[in-house]
Amino acid sequence: MASHDTAVAGNTSRPSGRERGTRVRRRRVRAAWIFLTPMLIGLLLVAGWPLMRTFWFSMTDASLSQMGGASFIGLENYLVYDDGWYGVLADSLWWNSVWNTLYFTVVSVGCETVLGIIVALVLNANFRGRTLVRAAMLIPWAIPTIVSAKMWAWMLNDQFGIINHILISLGLIDMPLAWTANADLSMWAVIIVDVWKATPFVALLVLAALQMLPSDCYEAARVDGIHPVRVFFKVTLPLITPALLVAVIFRALDALRVFDVIYVLTSNASSTMTMSVYARQQLVEFQDVGYGSAASTLLFLIIALITVAYLYLGRRQLGGDS
Amino acid sequence: MEPKRSIGLAVVGWLVALIMFFPILWMILTAFKTEQTAFSMTPQFIFSPTLDSFRTALDQGAGYWHYALNSAITSVISTLIGLALAIPAAYAMAFFPSKRTDFTLVWMVSTKFIPAVGVLIPIFLVYKSLGLLDTDAGLIMLFAAMNLPIMVWMVYSYFKDIPRDIVEAADIDGAGTLQTMVQVILPLALPGLASTGLLALIFAWNEAFWSLTMVDHNAATLAPFIASFKSAEGLFWAKMSAASVLTVTPIIVLGWFAQRQMVRGLTFGAVK
Repeated sequence: MASHDTAVAGNTSRPSGRERGTRVRRRRVRAAWIFLTPMLIGLLLVAGWPLMRTFWFSMTDASLSQMGGASFIGLENYLVYDDGWYGVLADSLWWNSVWNTLYFTVVSVGCETVLGIIVALVLNANFRGRTLVRAAMLIPWAIPTIVSAKMWAWMLNDQFGIINHILISLGLIDMPLAWTANADLSMWAVIIVDVWKATPFVALLVLAALQMLPSDCYEAARVDGIHPVRVFFKVTLPLITPALLVAVIFRALDALRVFDVIYVLTSNASSTMTMSVYARQQLVEFQDVGYGSAASTLLFLIIALITVAYLYLGRRQLGGDS
Repeated sequence: MEPKRSIGLAVVGWLVALIMFFPILWMILTAFKTEQTAFSMTPQFIFSPTLDSFRTALDQGAGYWHYALNSAITSVISTLIGLALAIPAAYAMAFFPSKRTDFTLVWMVSTKFIPAVGVLIPIFLVYKSLGLLDTDAGLIMLFAAMNLPIMVWMVYSYFKDIPRDIVEAADIDGAGTLQTMVQVILPLALPGLASTGLLALIFAWNEAFWSLTMVDHNAATLAPFIASFKSAEGLFWAKMSAASVLTVTPIIVLGWFAQRQMVRGLTFGAVK
């Protein structure tokens, strides 16, 4: 406040206030541009420009070994008819990886949201050691994915893994399960690891929202003797919806691009291949830059479309509330 | 309303924490085993601990220290570069907002959601022709750029908490823009800047995609080190766990100081 007072005093003591105002404004606009430019150039160099290049490569027959001799072939990498359909859009493995990605995203983000809310409600209650438990929650997503994926690979090991051991001693299974090798199980293995890693993130977001809630409506609900479950669905859930929407979009955007968990646990296996893994395999292992770039471009477009649709729906929902 | 203490909730709370923490506990236990104990048909909870695995991880020719040094160099320098770019940009947007400020902020977030494979080949080719493949400098630039949107958003959200009157006052007192930023605003935002740096440091330390793709051995960080433990090389789980414990420890220590800031950063300042 003290500095505000000096500002007013300083202003009145100088006569040519308006002229000074425009000069200050012009100086600020120039400073703003100088301040912004390095960041903008940096981002354009690593995000904007390479993305356009990828888009361009997707319309050429470039391969990593001979980038110079690449020629423009239009949309042939996407779809072309030459005695049968060819291109990414005609590749059943691509559609398989699209399906895997969507399946992974919906199931893992769904589980993370439900579990995250439950964990947040527990953490919002008052019990001994709450602070410590809350801090421990952060560990799963503070550690590198590559470490957690390797750790889970070890725990899910079919012969020596602790998970199979626990499940057998609990009598839930008779035989050890080949979590990462079995095509039916590997997607679940990947989902389990992702849910373990990301549930704390959702929980902490929801927890932050819970702690901002006004306590008087709970007091009123308690006095009226309304069942806690009903209070949750009628009062709490609507109030934490904005935080949930933020958590879900962030998780979904990560899940749609998922790469490292899957690459460490199951490598290029088709039962867990996502769009990112597919594109990387085409680009790096098959060195097919044109084709892989087409897959990357499609991945980018799919993510952009889902984001726009989500933001549109989210805004409508929030708009209806207020 | 202060909810009353409940035994039931405490049990559930601790159970959740146990499940969350168990994989890390198992990693730590495995790290103190011999490869043979780790590889026993019935997993051992009680065993005589040994430091052998740590010794092997730390010894091995160019073992842990080579990777840890690269990780430290790349994450610290990329964080400093990131701050140097993010602070002025956030300052301009927080204190001299224009019609395009909101658009710039949203555009920055959108770059964060570009899949890494979508920019991989163009960057790989440029790096190849500039001789930046397998260099710390190459990784530093990628890490700095990768963290830039989050850093700008975080710094921006901290600057937004500072009343604009202060800048007005400094301006009228005749301080230049740079001088106002460095001498007036930065000291006020120092805690926020520190946590932004801490978060960027953690992200760079944890980064895997680029450090697996753009690097061979020379600039290899801890991520390729951990990834290099593969079943083809015989028994390795205890060694890998020891290496993982060494990799994770600095992050857990830093993370402890940055708990709240991590949530803020990961949500681009949506949660404070």
